[in-house]
Amino acid sequence: MHERSLHPFGKRKRIHERIIETILFLFAMLSILITVSIAFILIKESYLFFSDPDVRLLDFLTGKKWQPMIGLFGFLPLLNATLTTSLIAMVVGIPLGLFVAIYLSEYASDRIRGILKPTLEVLAGIPTIVYGYFALTFMTPLLRSVFGEANVEIYNTASAGLVIGILVLPMIATMAEDAIGAVPQELRLASYALGGTRIETTFEVVIPASLSGLSATFLLALSRAIGETMIVALASGAGPKLTANPFEAAETITGYIVRISGGDVSYNSIDYNSIFALGLILFIITFTLNLTSRKISSLFHQEYD
Amino acid sequence: MTDMQTQTLFGTDADINILMNKRKRTGMIWQAVFLFSTTLAIIFLLLLLLSVIDSSFGYVALRNEVEPSSLIEGKALIKEFSRTELESTAMDNLSSGILRRVESEKPIAQRSDHDLVSLLEQYVIKPKVLKTWGLWDSLTNTRAVEEYSRTESDSYLTFKSWINAEFFVADQSADPLHAGIRTAFLGSLWIILITFLFSFPIGVGAAIYLQEYAQDNRLNRILQLNIFNLSAVPSIIYGLLGLAVFVRAMQGFTSGSMFSSLSDATANGRTILSGGLTLGLLVLPIIIINTQEALKAVPASLRMSSYGIGATKWQTIWYQVLPASGERILTGTILALSRALGETAPLVVIGASTFISVDPTGVFSKFTTLPIQIYQWSARPQGAYRNLAGAAIIALLILLIIMNSAAIYTRDRLSKKKRLES
Amino acid sequence: MKNLHVVFISLMLLALSPLAAGGKPEQVTTPSNTLAWVENSLDNGLPGVNPLKVSGNIITAGSSTVYPLSERMAERFIEEGYSGSITIDSIGSGAGFERFTVAGETDISNASRPIKDKEIESAKTIGRVPLEFRVGTDALAVVVSKQNTFVKNLTKQELAKVFSTAKTWSEVNPAWPNEPILRFIPGTDSGTFDYFSEEIFKSNPEPLLSASNLQLSEDDNILVQGIKGSPYGIGFFGYAYYAENTASLNILDIEGIEASAANVDNGTYPLARPLFLYSDATIMRSKPQVAAFIDFYLSYVNEEIVGVGYFPAHEEALKKGQALWLEAMKGLY
Repeated sequence: MHERSLHPFGKRKRIHERIIETILFLFAMLSILITVSIAFILIKESYLFFSDPDVRLLDFLTGKKWQPMIGLFGFLPLLNATLTTSLIAMVVGIPLGLFVAIYLSEYASDRIRGILKPTLEVLAGIPTIVYGYFALTFMTPLLRSVFGEANVEIYNTASAGLVIGILVLPMIATMAEDAIGAVPQELRLASYALGGTRIETTFEVVIPASLSGLSATFLLALSRAIGETMIVALASGAGPKLTANPFEAAETITGYIVRISGGDVSYNSIDYNSIFALGLILFIITFTLNLTSRKISSLFHQEYD
Repeated sequence: MTDMQTQTLFGTDADINILMNKRKRTGMIWQAVFLFSTTLAIIFLLLLLLSVIDSSFGYVALRNEVEPSSLIEGKALIKEFSRTELESTAMDNLSSGILRRVESEKPIAQRSDHDLVSLLEQYVIKPKVLKTWGLWDSLTNTRAVEEYSRTESDSYLTFKSWINAEFFVADQSADPLHAGIRTAFLGSLWIILITFLFSFPIGVGAAIYLQEYAQDNRLNRILQLNIFNLSAVPSIIYGLLGLAVFVRAMQGFTSGSMFSSLSDATANGRTILSGGLTLGLLVLPIIIINTQEALKAVPASLRMSSYGIGATKWQTIWYQVLPASGERILTGTILALSRALGETAPLVVIGASTFISVDPTGVFSKFTTLPIQIYQWSARPQGAYRNLAGAAIIALLILLIIMNSAAIYTRDRLSKKKRLES
Repeated sequence: MKNLHVVFISLMLLALSPLAAGGKPEQVTTPSNTLAWVENSLDNGLPGVNPLKVSGNIITAGSSTVYPLSERMAERFIEEGYSGSITIDSIGSGAGFERFTVAGETDISNASRPIKDKEIESAKTIGRVPLEFRVGTDALAVVVSKQNTFVKNLTKQELAKVFSTAKTWSEVNPAWPNEPILRFIPGTDSGTFDYFSEEIFKSNPEPLLSASNLQLSEDDNILVQGIKGSPYGIGFFGYAYYAENTASLNILDIEGIEASAANVDNGTYPLARPLFLYSDATIMRSKPQVAAFIDFYLSYVNEEIVGVGYFPAHEEALKKGQALWLEAMKGLY
């Protein structure tokens, strides 16, 4: 048919468009490339790590001491410290964040909300190094004066955990508030019509309705806490230790990675490979949490009209 | 009949009242809890800011290596020296090497009094920090401060604001009194520039593809999910990626040895280019997600009307959709960049330098950044470095406030114009 | 659309503007083999250095012990007019040698221990022959917190016990408190670590690294901070880090001998160790600013070292370095 040659924009324009589309597609594929590269590099270096004769997978997963230079590759101390700080952070961040979110969405007047929301956004935008500084110069001395200098070491996981909790608080509050706000007003009104008080409505209607969004928030916050580096690097110490006492110094996975890479180790030495192995574990943990959070939020998502 | 109390499902009237009161009380208690939590959050923010401000101002106990009175009889302060005394003291007491440099930059005779005073202070008098106090201590505990000054021989107190004009333009230095953040500050800005140049076109481009061109098939859903996951990956993983790829594997490119005939035997991938690219990868998912949201917000009617008058897809995007979503894209990008500004961990892994004497001159320079400077100063045990770290944090926060205000300003300004136009 | 452009451009200009605001940009590198900075010979036989005429870049890395000394010399070099760029990374002697002998990334390696044969071999494979320049002496400081009043002296045997098998202080000496020992030591990349394990543990680091309550860091500041805040803590690092913190730390005598300038000089302090710079003749010749800096360093280090907190090396040791320098730069000026 002759429409193509008569078409005012002609074939040339079409190719021009195609080229642009291809370029944009390549840009989008770059994101896949990044993920693949991360996975590839982590896996490759981890393979080098695990294939070293000194390293046995079982010892890695169950060993209680981490000291690569003398062949001790037990990963539990690092994992334990990471979990301790993250747990403390969640104990602080989740209740407070949730309560702030409830306050903002159910109780606060528009004016107060107008002041508080930007304040939370400011808190969320403060770089983590500032929180690290805060942990070292304020939180640790505070803990030492409250619990006694003999009981709280100068580097400890409690201080780092508490400050990570403060770090994730705005994130939890904002995301939870979005989730709670998404619950349609009709549900609340129905509850009031049945005679429920505001608090009963909140706990028995609104929260269950927004549960998917809330769980997604908590999982993302946990993932954030686990991946946090600078606060633990400054405040929780430089020695891997398996301990249940949060007032003792214990190095986390991220703290170890930063310490070793800051010191710069030989290419292909066991230390260098170990940071990638640990990076891989970190990646797997946070990836799983993020994926689960996304799945939960879509799986349990309630469509209200 | 009148004596009988009304019986309802829940009991008598009195029972109902008790129940209602209990429910109201529970409500009030919980409301108090919520309010308390919110106050607690605000208090944390205030504590954070106050502790930073507290470190940045305060008394300093100093001791001079050489007392002014030993240079010129009877004068306890340099400021009291006369012009001729200043010049002669400088000539006599500055070491030969320093004198030579000073003279070559600007002869002593031509320098201002203020200049000579600071020269003498830095190179002859050489005050050393004995102890520093925070703002709170300085204001409330002056007795202890003065007590210390009395017990330490030859010490004197001055009230110092650690954040001042010199702080911004001074070099790195081992002496806390003369240390500044200029090198770090410029390093940060250079890196953000590279981050922006790398991530903005690619991020916006990818978002345009995903939003405008991609069909809702499996590949694209995986792409979406992948981008979401990337945005939540801990920043240190990006640091590891940058170390392995940019610093080591691509060393020829990032160190610049590919581009110039650098007979430098010491080409090195730990450059601003590596740092910028690594942070670029970090903010890329954020920019993509943000741009997608902005594009989603453009009404379909705009696109349809554009197609209606015969525009092609790209023409529609370039002339209609992008301008309509432009300010949201820009705002989001600025916020993503301000996040990159505060990142420390990936750059530590890449290898920012501990001591660096000159400002970055190009993308192949070694670097240090403001957050890394804060990290290094915070790790040092002497009190004076705490003060420096606090001052540097204030500088960083000011920079972030400027960036965020710029974002909010562009958003309001451009959207106001849009509203006026429509 | 136009507004968008304007905002873009102004943002980029904003980002670049501080560059115009002055500062110290690196000078353009003058062609390599100019030795314009050479002046009249100094007393020690090396040519004088005029830092005003030196430019280019100098990349150094290595020992955290040597770091404060190199930092001071670099600052003085800059104060007297050096306009090029100099970077010093404090990453540990081992990591410094790695960068110098394997990756070829640095011009000068700072070290608090002598170079190992293995490292010399690696250097050969990349075409470098390390030259050793002794710059000073460190008295390794074994320190406890100011609140620790019970320990004043340790024998070498007690030192070994404290840093390995003993769990509490009372296990080492029953008169001491029954509290767990908290240990803060340099990391495994550190020359200080190597030296200590060599001296006290006969080069077997295992007991040291298996000790309980162990914190390692290549950054001595973190160790100082840790010990400062731990009444039952103990650690060791270069003397300069103790000298900077005398108000909060107590130094211990070793075998009854105090770490003083006299005892270091006459060799009686058991833990005195040398501090070095390493470079290579080819680098020095192709990057004369490196040679200038080393010349400057060797000539003036004794004026600055005490202020930094270390002790001057013996004359003969310095002379050896000076001779090596002259040998490396023969015929160029």
